[in-house]
Amino acid sequence: MSVVQTSGLSKHYPGVRALDELTIEVQPGIVGLVGANGAGKSTLIKLLLGLIPPTAGEASVLGYDIATQGPLLRQHVGYMPEHDCLPLEMNATEFVAHMAQISGLPRTASRERAAETLRHAGLFEERYRAMAGYSTGMRQRAKLAQALVHDPELVFLDEPTNGLDPAGRDEMLDLVARTGRGLGISLIMATHLLGEIERVCDQLIVIDGGRLLHYGPLSEFTERTQTLDVEVAADADRLGERLRAHGLDVTVEGHHVLVSLDGAPPFDLIRDTVVELGLGLVRIQQRRRTLEDLFRLAPEVVAS
Amino acid sequence: MTTPPNPQATPPAEAATSNIYDLGYRRYEGERLGRRDAVLALYRESLRGAFGLGRSTASKVGPAILIGIALVPALVQLIIAAVIPIEAELIRAEDYYGLITLVLALFCAVVAPDIVGRDQRNRSLTLYFSRAISRTDYALGKLAAMTTAMLAITLAPQVLLFAGNALGTQDFGGFVADEWTQIFPIVFTATIGSALIASIGVVVAAQTPQRAFATVGIIVAFVLPLFIASILVQEIGTEVLRPAVFISPLDLLDGTTVWLFGGTLEDSVADQAGFHPATYLAGCLVITTIAVGLLLRRYAKVQA
Repeated sequence: MSVVQTSGLSKHYPGVRALDELTIEVQPGIVGLVGANGAGKSTLIKLLLGLIPPTAGEASVLGYDIATQGPLLRQHVGYMPEHDCLPLEMNATEFVAHMAQISGLPRTASRERAAETLRHAGLFEERYRAMAGYSTGMRQRAKLAQALVHDPELVFLDEPTNGLDPAGRDEMLDLVARTGRGLGISLIMATHLLGEIERVCDQLIVIDGGRLLHYGPLSEFTERTQTLDVEVAADADRLGERLRAHGLDVTVEGHHVLVSLDGAPPFDLIRDTVVELGLGLVRIQQRRRTLEDLFRLAPEVVAS
Repeated sequence: MTTPPNPQATPPAEAATSNIYDLGYRRYEGERLGRRDAVLALYRESLRGAFGLGRSTASKVGPAILIGIALVPALVQLIIAAVIPIEAELIRAEDYYGLITLVLALFCAVVAPDIVGRDQRNRSLTLYFSRAISRTDYALGKLAAMTTAMLAITLAPQVLLFAGNALGTQDFGGFVADEWTQIFPIVFTATIGSALIASIGVVVAAQTPQRAFATVGIIVAFVLPLFIASILVQEIGTEVLRPAVFISPLDLLDGTTVWLFGGTLEDSVADQAGFHPATYLAGCLVITTIAVGLLLRRYAKVQA
């Protein structure tokens, strides 16, 4: 069963089409929602949560209609906003337990869940401290804890690593991966950082200018290309010439000799040629497409 | 030298009875109470916040001082009744709001910006609106909390005065038998007054996240009409200006209170305006309804 289904979903503001005719059916998993700043990621999340009404189209989340079943749907969905949203004068336990109650959980269960969720988020020791004293990383964790406390089936994360240093970023991504894979909660994570998507997501939605560019498993985007990348310490040009003489289709880029493949990779030939020329071989590997390549392609190509 | 642990050794006795299990994050299989209980949780937490409960000491000081001041006339009456052995009723119930009018407005100005402004300042409205409650639920939950908080300063002194007067007489049973008809007006006027003042206070405070602006705005909303009505009705006093009493909520409350207690309006703006006292009650209800309508409109549009 899909977690999100939209049909012609649009949100227009005066002079801006924040989201335009989005039709998509998202499967459970950790889904990256990627696009440049202003591409429509936050607008899509807010529409799916029923925080803003659509201009046109319809959508359902976990089978609940966003227009007519908002409060019911939101009992089963979590949301971690991009911006600061914590009442800093409260401690994390009180705040997270209160948020659980606002999601419809009984009082005692809310306190138990708050403790468990804060432990999961790595804030157990600091849970009785006022959040005003928290670092940026701890505040992001508290934001994630409030999104998970009512045990949602689907969580929307809007730029969860915003403002974090590299170590904090790694920890947050690990936490996202553990939440998605370990607990089986589906996550839709908006980000403009492709590296994050490659690290934790198994599906990808690409939007640009409010329009859907592509949706599919991440493996489709990062599959191996038909190019063998041979990196040498020096004299890549000589290696390129010699391989061309053997009938290979070769391009040279700096220290890299890129060999177009047509069948099995000629590893032995390359190794022997490198030895003959007395070059230092750094690596031989089949190139993978990166998400950066995706954005370098024209939208029509990606859509096809 | 350290001794390596012996796996065969018998564990200490206490280890057999006390174990700590880290069960970690688990899925929640328990009861979900839904929207009604979520709104009740919002109401309870807002009401606690109104008196600074669960917050810093500084948050408790303002409301506590104002409630204390509101209780002073009742306490003075009770002390005099206890010290002087004559049955003297210095303060009557219908005069009570007249004595503490400005305290009522000040209490509202201190508490309302806390009840509704805090979530806007923290930008945590998003967290509420993305949960089990609707925007209307949120607005009404906050209004109910503010109205209940106002009862602490409208109803409590009246109840104290009534109970004190009853206990101060030589004949407790006789006092209650004579004065029981006062109970309905005490409760009714406290409820009407609390709802009127709360709705105005909350709708003004909801317009801005800035606490200072909200506080000043609420004081102006109550005190300015008081002055204007006083000048137009009492000082100038022409026929055409008499309806000016209807712009002043506190004068309408005064007129309603005196009427319901069966007293007479002496030298008050409501008295000078000369309308039937029932119209003052209608005026209170109309202003409350308009304020609630504006509040719902505000929260339907406020950015989350």
